[in-house]
Parts: sequence; C-alpha cells; structure tokens
Amino acid sequence: MFSRLVLAGLLTAAIGLPVGGAMAQPSGLPVDVPREQLFVSDQILRYNVVGNYNFWVLGPQNPTRHAMFLETLWIRDQETGALVNDAASAPPQYNDDYTQMSVELRDNIFWSDGVQFTADDLVYTIETLKSTPELGANGWHAQLNQFVESVEKTGDHSVTFTLTEPNARFHSLFEARWNGIYMMPKHVFEEVEDLATFTNNPPVVLGTYIPVQADPNGFWELYERREDWERSPAGVETNNPGPENILSIFYGDSTRKAIAMSRGELDVYFDADFEAFQETLDTTPTARSWYQEFPWAYPNEVSSRQFVFNQENDPVFANKDVRWALALALDIVELQTEYIGGVVKVTPIPVPPTGELVSLYHEPLEEWLIDLEIDLGNGEMYKPYDPTVPDRIAEWAEGQGYDVPGTPREVFGSGWWKFDPEAAEALLVKNGFSRDGSGQWLKPDGEPWVLSLQSPPDENDAFRMANAASDMWTDFGIQVDLQGPERSVWDQNHIEGQFQVSTPWYSFALASGDAWPEIRGWHPDFYVPVGEDYRSLGGNNFQRINDPRVGELIDAMAAVEPGSEENHELVTDFLKHWTEEMYFITTISFKKFVTWDERYWTGFPTAENPERMPLYWFQGGKYTFQSLRPVAE
Amino acid sequence: MTLLKEYIVPRLIQWAIVIFIGVSLTFLIPRMSPINPIDQAMGRLTAFQTLSPEATLALRQSLMDLYGLEGNLLTQYLNFWGRVLRGDLGPSFSAFPTTVADMIGSGIWWTIGLLGLSTIIAWTLGLVLGGLAGYFPDRWWSKAVENTLVSIYPIPYYIVAFILLMLFTYYLPIFPLVGGSRGTASFSWSYIGSLVYYGFLPALSLVIGATAFRFIMSKALASTERSSDYVRFAEIAALPKRRIVFRYVIRNTMLPQVTDLALSLAAIFEGALITEVVFGYPGLGYLLLNAINASDYNMIMGITLLSIVGIATASLLVDLCYPLIDPRVRYR
Repeated sequence: MFSRLVLAGLLTAAIGLPVGGAMAQPSGLPVDVPREQLFVSDQILRYNVVGNYNFWVLGPQNPTRHAMFLETLWIRDQETGALVNDAASAPPQYNDDYTQMSVELRDNIFWSDGVQFTADDLVYTIETLKSTPELGANGWHAQLNQFVESVEKTGDHSVTFTLTEPNARFHSLFEARWNGIYMMPKHVFEEVEDLATFTNNPPVVLGTYIPVQADPNGFWELYERREDWERSPAGVETNNPGPENILSIFYGDSTRKAIAMSRGELDVYFDADFEAFQETLDTTPTARSWYQEFPWAYPNEVSSRQFVFNQENDPVFANKDVRWALALALDIVELQTEYIGGVVKVTPIPVPPTGELVSLYHEPLEEWLIDLEIDLGNGEMYKPYDPTVPDRIAEWAEGQGYDVPGTPREVFGSGWWKFDPEAAEALLVKNGFSRDGSGQWLKPDGEPWVLSLQSPPDENDAFRMANAASDMWTDFGIQVDLQGPERSVWDQNHIEGQFQVSTPWYSFALASGDAWPEIRGWHPDFYVPVGEDYRSLGGNNFQRINDPRVGELIDAMAAVEPGSEENHELVTDFLKHWTEEMYFITTISFKKFVTWDERYWTGFPTAENPERMPLYWFQGGKYTFQSLRPVAE
Repeated sequence: MTLLKEYIVPRLIQWAIVIFIGVSLTFLIPRMSPINPIDQAMGRLTAFQTLSPEATLALRQSLMDLYGLEGNLLTQYLNFWGRVLRGDLGPSFSAFPTTVADMIGSGIWWTIGLLGLSTIIAWTLGLVLGGLAGYFPDRWWSKAVENTLVSIYPIPYYIVAFILLMLFTYYLPIFPLVGGSRGTASFSWSYIGSLVYYGFLPALSLVIGATAFRFIMSKALASTERSSDYVRFAEIAALPKRRIVFRYVIRNTMLPQVTDLALSLAAIFEGALITEVVFGYPGLGYLLLNAINASDYNMIMGITLLSIVGIATASLLVDLCYPLIDPRVRYR
C-alpha cells in the first residue's frame, strides 16, 4: 500500500507541475503581449552580448537590431537595386574631382526622445568615430581616418565631407547592403564620459522600434513601436504604422522553427532546410515563401556559390585547363534539381542573376558566353557554354508536376557549362593526366589524383553542392575526399591555405552593379603566398590568385565613377577574364526560404508584390517590418 | 594531530596540485588548437560586409590589443595566473566586451537549477525505487518499474530528449520550444511558475536516464543487502517491512551512491550541453560549446576552472567525510 502511495505521489508531482504551469501560461512565447499586437520574427543567431546597445564598439551583434532602430544615410534594396533614402533625403553629390561629397538630410525625422535629427548628429558621428579608436566596429574608425579630411555642417540638414584623395565610392560607407555607418544621437553621446564602455541602454533611437525587454541569455528581445513612428525614416517612407510590438526570438534549428510556426509562435523565419520548409507548408496552411508555389524560395539575395581552388596547395589547380575540366565534369541540371531541389538560379559568373544584375551583366554577356571557346588540345577549339540549361530545369520541374511561375530564365537563371566528360577528359590528357587500369585519373607525375574538397555542413546548399560535385567527379574517375569540417575549422583551414577545393560564397557585384568594393581584395598588391595568413596585407584572396591583369582592371575601376558606363565596361571585362581563367566554378545563386505565416500579419513582399527585399535581418529590413498590417484589418 | 598530518593535509596538497595541473592544461590546450580566436572574431565581425584592406589590418591589431593576446606564451600564462588570483577571468572573446564572469554568472544559475534539481530527484528516485525493487523483487510493480527503467537505460540520451521534445512541443504542444523562463526575473508566482514550466521538459529528460542508471545500481546493492544476516534477523524479529527497507537496506546501499551524488553535483559546472541544445535552454554547456568553436580561451578557462575546482573539491570533501560516514573505512 505504502509503495503504491509513493508511486502515486511521484506521478502526481510529475504530471501536476507542468499542467498547472501550462494552464497558467498557455502560450509558449516568453512575453505577455497580446498576439494580435505582436509580430514574432526569427532571430538568426542567439545574441551573446545582451543589454549593450553600443553598436559602435566591437561586440554587440546587429542582425535584426539594426533594422529595428539604427539608421544610416541610404539603403540599397537587393530586390529592386534601388537606392532608398534613409536619414538622407537625396542621393550623394560629389564635386567634379571626387574630393568632396555633399549630403542632404531629412528634415522631418526625430530621435525617440523628441529631439530633431540634424546635421550636427552626422558631423558628431563622423568626428567621434574618427577620434575614438575604441569605436572599432565595422572598421569605420579606420576607414573614416583613411578617407575623410574633414566634415562640415553647411546647413541645419546638409553636410559636406572633404576627402583625403579622390574617391567616387566614399558614400558606400553610408549605403547599407548589410549595414552602413550608424547615426549617433549627439545630445546623448556628448554627455558620456567613456564611449568605449558605454552600454547605451536604454537607447535613444532614430528608428521606429525601441528595445524594451531582453532575455539575459540572448534567446529573445522585445521591441515597442515609438508613439511618433511617423517621425522615423521607415515611418516617413512607408506611411504605415507597422506592428505595435516585435519579438525577435532564436529557436535554433530548422525543425524547431517549423514547429514554432505551426504553433502560431513565429510569423517569419529567415531560412530553413528544404525538408523543414516542406513540413511548414504541410502543417501551417497560412505559411508561404516568396513564391506561393514551386520554387517557393526567395532567389534574389545578392550572392552566389562556387567551388574555388587553392592555386598553391597542389600545382594541378594552378592550371586553368584542370579547372575547366572539373567544370565540364559537373552536370549542373542534376546538381540544381536532384541535390538542391530545383529551387535556386544557375549562374556561370560570380554575379547572381537577380533583378538589375541580369540586365547589367547576364544578358549582355550571353552572346560572349555562347561564342567563348577553349582549346582542348590538338588545335581543337570547343564552345563550353550551354544556354539551354534553364529550359532543361523547367522541363524537369514540369515533369515533377510543378508549374514554373515565369520564363525559365526568370526562374532558373542563365545558361551554364555543358556536362561533357569527353571534353573534360581531352583537357586533362592535353595536360599530361592519364587513367590507370581501373579508369581512375593519375596526375602528370603518375600519382593517383586525390582531390580534397572541404565544405562546412552548416551551410546547407553549399554542402549539398559539394556532395553533388563529389559524386560527379568520382564518376568521372577522380578520387574525391569530401570533408565537412566545423565552420571554425573550415575558416581556419583557409587562413594559411590548408585546402585544395572549397565552397565559399561571393558576389562580385553589388545590387547597384558596382564591383570594385567586392573584388579589390584580389588585387595582386594584397597577394600572400600559402603558408602565411592570407589577410596579413588586408586582402581576402585565400585562393592565392596572383594575376597582374586582375590588378590592372581593379586599378582602372578605382579611378572611375561607380555608376558610369566606363565602370560597367571594366566590370564586364573583369568578369570575362575571370571566366576565361575559370578561377571559380560558380554554380548557383543564393536562395532563402524566407517564410512567413499570414495568420496574424500580412504585407510581406512576395513575387507578386516585389516592391522591396524580404531580407528583414539586414539594416534595410526596416521597411519590411514597417509595411506589415494586421490580418484583422 | 595524526589525522590532520597523515590524512587531511596530504589530501589538501593533492587537491591543490590537481587544480594547478588542471588549470595549466586548460590554459595550454586551446592554444594548441589550430583555431585562432582573432581569426574567428574577424570572421564573425566581417561576415556580412567588405572592409577595406587598411580597415582589416586595423581591426586585427585592435582585437589583439583588446583580447590581451600580445606577448609570448609565458607572459600570457603569468598574466593569466595573476588574473585568476585576482578573480578576474577577463573578457569573453566571442561575446566581447562582456566579461567571462558576467557570462558565467548569467548561465550558471540555470545550470545549477536544472542539473542540481534533476540530479537530486533522479538520485532519490533511483535509490528509493531500486531499494524497493531489490527488497521486493517478486512484486508486480517492482517488475514493471524494473522492466521500464532497464528498457529506457540503453537508449541514448539525445534520442530520449528528442522524443520528449517532439511529443510535448509538436504532437501535444503544451511545453515551450525555447528559453528558461517567461518575462524578466522577479519573485512573483507567475515568474516562478514559468521557471517550472520551461524547465520541466529538459529536467524530465535528464531524470529519466539518470533514474534508470541509479535504479539498476541501487537494486543490485539492495539485493545483496536483502540476503544479509541483519535483514534476516530483522524479519525474524517481525520488524515492519517499511522500517527494514528504509532504515536498514536503503541506508546501507547509500554509501557508494553518496560518492556518485557528490561527483554528479560537482559535474554540474560542466553544464548539460545536449539538453541545452535540444531544448533551447540556457546554461553553461552551450556557452562552453560556443567558446570551443570560437577558441574563446578566456571562456573555456573560466568554465573549466569552475569544473576542475568543483570536482576536485567534491572529491576532497567525499574523501574527508568517508571516515565519518562509514565506520569500516574510518582511519585507524
């Protein structure tokens, strides 16, 4: 009898506690805000610096937060390519020799404590960043000292920068792709004794939302809309109040995000793996991504994925014929469909086929790509480009029962290289490679060719792409050693060149079409040989490419205006040279299953309403949040 | 005096040596890793943007200064001991400028609450159920409990945790998916209720496995005790069964279990990594994982220091208390 009582007591305790708790707190959300007043967004990482809103020092993480309350001068929208005024009221104006830049500021925006934003704030921001080395975030201190001679207020809402040397791209420091120099409230910061240790909590903000509550362990943060939201840049720009409260919350892996959305505890997630996304569609009928149907995902984030080669680890990769052979041994249609699910765009150049970039680079280069020839040896010239790739992917999609929402090129990108193992074989034979008795490739020195391919598994599409290449190159007769190291190990392996082939991501053009800021790190001036840290001169060339022609083109771009026809021609020449050399095998563009549930909120940008990018965790995400409307309306 | 000189002092010296060696190894091992904290920080800080080469170099130098990684290994080692003795563990590299002490301070109470409670509950349940099952091996409930727990025991912990997560957050969505509490900390009933609500599922996952382990151990010990002469004499003397089980059998099975409890409680300071990741629960385990991935030397050393001191001290206390608990091992 006694033992039964003990068991009954334990069971009661075990069951009773949570049920009581659950009844008291029916929602799994950590805040007490009525759901109809709350928009819940996926926090892309768990904040490890909490309660510190000094984003000018190294440390505090900015994803989503800078969309909520931090302002710069301009935002470059990745969907439309448009330059959107943020704290500025007009695009930058340069003098004739690009030694001065003038800015006109909005005269109708205010800080959250009611003080008007003026030229004094911008001048104070620049002078403070220049004079305070401890404000080291984003490299702004170093770059402003490098580029700015002086900054002068020319009116209550106008400022002129005098530059240390001609620089037609100086404004890019204030033009957010990811972010731009954040404005400081002069009237608050000038009272602070030590800005290096200042935590700026609670912050006075220029954006629409103010952080009011945060989990000390970094899982979530709650924001409240300013009462005078119409006096913030996003309020002015959209003329829509947006949600009263926004909760950003870190759920972790894709499965948990899908569960949270099915429970009505997440209104948008920034990405998930394909399987979790499909689960979301099955369990949350009100959920959708960019396209309502196949291929669902948002395809226009300005980045692309590639296989890159270490030119100095194994001499075979310094030979462009070998790099071309590896490209021709890949079946891009199979990679895009069977390994990635058909949901990304294809691109042969390191510029994604998005919005403006298609008309700037992909369409003009098409004829050149079709006519491009490579030498297979014995005087035989070969045209490697296959313009029919998007059509073949569309055929596959229709075979799967999907409707393709547009032309194949609109949905699946541009053409790519032919899958032609015979041509690949000819290129290798031309360079002294041979096959052994079992058909495996031997290098020119007679050693078996073992190709080491590294890709971190946490980056889903890159890892799937690496698996595709591993299978295809293995079928072609190469022994592939596919490794999936932790991100930190993968990063570290690049530092001194401990890799052969790898899968990073790049875009050699910004949404504006300019390339110089993205490619200047490959200038031979910054080249560092294998065995030393590739960043020791400040470049980002971990492939150890040392090409004088690349340097000439980068120098030529630096001397011209980014929006000029001359710059466009130089970028086009650069892309042609890069492609001919096959420095990268660029395969696909980025895609994100940015997925929102329209149970409570509507107004997210979609393929039917593509007025802005849905990338809400970028600084430009502010307009996306501000445009939301309650479904109940 | 002999006790102090021949028993207590040597153990105190041993305790100090263990801590010194452990902490020194903790200082050295991360530095032998190929992962460099400056490179990791550079990767994080520049992941979303392109810096000018000049700014990249400036950022690198700035990080070296801020992280205190200037100087050779010996200088860093001496500085490190100086800081440890002053109680300053420095800044966390991965959460700069937050200090290691602040980071540990925000995580440790969750870990102590979750692991401390679940360890004590599992230990008590395992001990009592094992003792009862060992003394009453033929009762139906004894067999039912044994069959259940022995079946659960071999299942890997992460599978148990994942099943619980799916069952109670998806198929029967009554528990939260992430976090340790609701709202901000306060001494209100609603906040305390939320602590129980958020902690229940992770605690249950820990209790299930740990109870099964201790049940098996306790039942084996109780079965041995059951055939002892003193139990037989007690039964002949017609003492109540309840008294025999709780006053004699379970008490005599406790000795090795006390050691296990002390060491398990000390191991709390290592955190519960899988639990924290699966249930999205705050604590030291997740901090340690991030610190290892980011080569956050200071954080690794902070948590390991805590763990080394905790386990060494628990071992010392068990050693010192043993003669008091068990007359059979009383020193001379």
